[in-house]
Amino acid sequence: MAVQERTSSKGWFAGLLQGLNGVFAYLTAGISAGDFRSMLRGDPPGRPNTRLRPHADAFLLHIKPSYYHESVTRFTHTYRLGLLSTYLFLFETITGIILMIWYAPSPERAYKDMIVLLSNVPFGQIMRDLHRIGAELMVAVVTLHMVRTYLTGSYKPPREFTWLTGVILLVLTLFLSFSGYLLPWDQLAFWAVTIGTSMAEAVPPLFVGETVNLLARGAPDIGANGLLRFYLLHVLFLPLLLILFFFVHYYKVVLYGISLPAQEEEVGEDTANRVPANRRVYYLPEVLVDEGSFLLVFTAIVTAVTVFLFQAPLEHIANPQQTPFHTVAPWYFYWLQGLLKIADKMWAGVIIPGVLLVLLMAIPYLDRNPSRRGADRRVATISGVIAGIVMIILSWMGTPSYAVQGAPPLEIVQELMPEEGSGISREIGYDHLPNGVYDSREEYEIHDEEFNELLHEFRAALAAWDERVDDFNEPWGVLTISQDQAQLKRLNWEINWINDAGEPDFFTQDFWLHQNSYYWEQYGVKKYGVPQFLNGTAPGR
Amino acid sequence: MRSLYVRSIGNKLIWGMLAALVIFVSVGLTAQTEETRMELQTRNWEGRSIENGAKIFADNCSTCHGRQGQGLPGIAPALNSHYFFARRLEDVGQAGTISLATYVHLTVAAGRPSKANSQWVNRMVPWSAEFGGPLRGDQVEDVVAYVMNWRETALQQTADEDPFQPFLDVPKPPELQNIGVDPDVEFEPVQLSATSVLPKGDRAPDYLFEAMGCAGCHNLEEIEAPNNRGESGPHMGRVHAIAEYREGVTDAAAYLKESIVTPDNRRVEGYDDAMPNDFADRMTEEEIDRLVAWLLDENRDYSPDD
Repeated sequence: MAVQERTSSKGWFAGLLQGLNGVFAYLTAGISAGDFRSMLRGDPPGRPNTRLRPHADAFLLHIKPSYYHESVTRFTHTYRLGLLSTYLFLFETITGIILMIWYAPSPERAYKDMIVLLSNVPFGQIMRDLHRIGAELMVAVVTLHMVRTYLTGSYKPPREFTWLTGVILLVLTLFLSFSGYLLPWDQLAFWAVTIGTSMAEAVPPLFVGETVNLLARGAPDIGANGLLRFYLLHVLFLPLLLILFFFVHYYKVVLYGISLPAQEEEVGEDTANRVPANRRVYYLPEVLVDEGSFLLVFTAIVTAVTVFLFQAPLEHIANPQQTPFHTVAPWYFYWLQGLLKIADKMWAGVIIPGVLLVLLMAIPYLDRNPSRRGADRRVATISGVIAGIVMIILSWMGTPSYAVQGAPPLEIVQELMPEEGSGISREIGYDHLPNGVYDSREEYEIHDEEFNELLHEFRAALAAWDERVDDFNEPWGVLTISQDQAQLKRLNWEINWINDAGEPDFFTQDFWLHQNSYYWEQYGVKKYGVPQFLNGTAPGR
Repeated sequence: MRSLYVRSIGNKLIWGMLAALVIFVSVGLTAQTEETRMELQTRNWEGRSIENGAKIFADNCSTCHGRQGQGLPGIAPALNSHYFFARRLEDVGQAGTISLATYVHLTVAAGRPSKANSQWVNRMVPWSAEFGGPLRGDQVEDVVAYVMNWRETALQQTADEDPFQPFLDVPKPPELQNIGVDPDVEFEPVQLSATSVLPKGDRAPDYLFEAMGCAGCHNLEEIEAPNNRGESGPHMGRVHAIAEYREGVTDAAAYLKESIVTPDNRRVEGYDDAMPNDFADRMTEEEIDRLVAWLLDENRDYSPDD
């Protein structure tokens, strides 16, 4: 009755508007349409601030602070790295759940499922690429988040425990990314994880290490059980653990507030939670729009890069009998692999990383300097930078370019036509490999720039290894390209040289290349990611 | 408010909308090309399967079936053969029941026990790990993909080009009547034009040893002895000393050459006449001489392709 009376007194149109306004406020958990319009206009909030209601009513907003100190909302203070880490976790969860639909964690199925996903599921490849690039970015962003926190001294009291949970989150992120590595069940995955788990074996005493390794792999070697275990770690155990620590971490962030830039407060003071009224930036709408637009721009960049440039690798199916020529860990574990090259397994695999981890967690308790100002913490900054440089050097040492060298002929063939990936031979492609016998000592009149480039590279590699290695003299090579089947060419690489003892030696290796094999790494850009009218040529050929 | 914020809400909203547009366009372009992409990926992985199969075939199958699938008379049937793709399934009574790919798959996986009335000396052993062989399931699939990839060229062969050797388990296929099926009747194995990718005349001995199929029966490492005889042909280890251990041989080179050109003249007791007698046509005289010299080389270094 009351509504009807009001309607009749104000007219039906005003009544409708009022009703719609009610719906709007219901959907926005307490923001009226008028408030919304004034937000868009950029008006300051009224007194009392009616825009705070959603923080009380809406679940997702009640864990966000209703306002921030102006200084911490500057992009250059936090670079939004914590937000980005959280967002990437959500991003990985969504793409990961979609990928789970087409995936069964068994050695018989896993690799085939990858191929089906790539060749028979609409948007299957982009989902996999997004998940992969997101995982790599998440490791990078979480690490950068830690670096930022370190450099601004934000781990200092009262935020020691926040830092500690942050380090745990970093470790969980690394493990999450690493456990996902095995799931495609290709050579890259299998051998990276074999190396990774074998490090666990170094945990002293021997039977503990062996038990840890056995628990992780489910058998002495990685097989069906190991794959299932890594899958469960990846999709269930580690994410749940990460969610738990995330909420602890985030609760502490909200509880103590984001630490202000050091020059905003006196040394030893913490005023993050005492924000003067004139320096408040309300979450609604300023910070929300800021965070939302930032994440949208980030997502747009990631999507565009994925669509046009990035391709998650998929090597040959895992083969426990055949170790790839250069086995590498994921890039974020290069430093460990570098350590393993200069120290034994016990030191490099367990003791040093363990001590580093404990040291990292203990930084707030070790650093008694109360000041967060750059000028006051030169020692901390310099040691941080040195640690960073050491990490980069160790990472470089972890790559095959340091202290790992196969026999020269093997390296030469690997350079031109590697077991995995493309190499120049596959890059120029089937159509640019004319059948015939090509001797590196002779010149040929071939009107194919790309093939000439390959022959040139072949000669250059032979000469380079001749220079570099004493046991490899006067090398010459023969590349024989023959038609093995319809649409299938055989490339026989034969390399002859004189060894140290003055005796001739030779090496030969065969590779096959099918006309339809699409080594997309060859293009740098994914041609089929672009419609033909933009591209000008038919994709692939 | 302006002093606190460098960029206005309006700017950020525009940035957000631009980003949304980029996402929309990127995903839209992906949607446009998904059909093409999936087709390319399907062909790509089929191609890679054939590449993998080629390596497995070269490592495991080529010694008996020939590098080009041309088969080896008396040892293993030709696979790169018109008959094989056109008639084989019918002849074993499986046409319409299973596909040729399935037939090949079953044969590779489980092997073919030798039949009583068969001219193939070697048994086809099971290759799949499922039946105790060395290959995983995916490897069997790859090698089947490789064998099936001969279809196109094999079906273009004329009867003369078909390296077909008679199967004794089936009646004579009419379109291949020029090839005898009676084991007593001498038949001419046809040289497949693709047997060797290198032209006749200047081929290296170790290449010939494989390309001519010698490696299918003759082992170069083992030494022939009464208690260590080859399954289908004498071992060739230490063959340079053959004059010492084989009666009636005085000139090792002449003996080997004679055995290559006319294998049945002085065939070793206990071996059947599986060795082809057309090598004089398939190699030049110089090539045979070099092959003999190579075989007699005490320090011959031979490693099968790997």
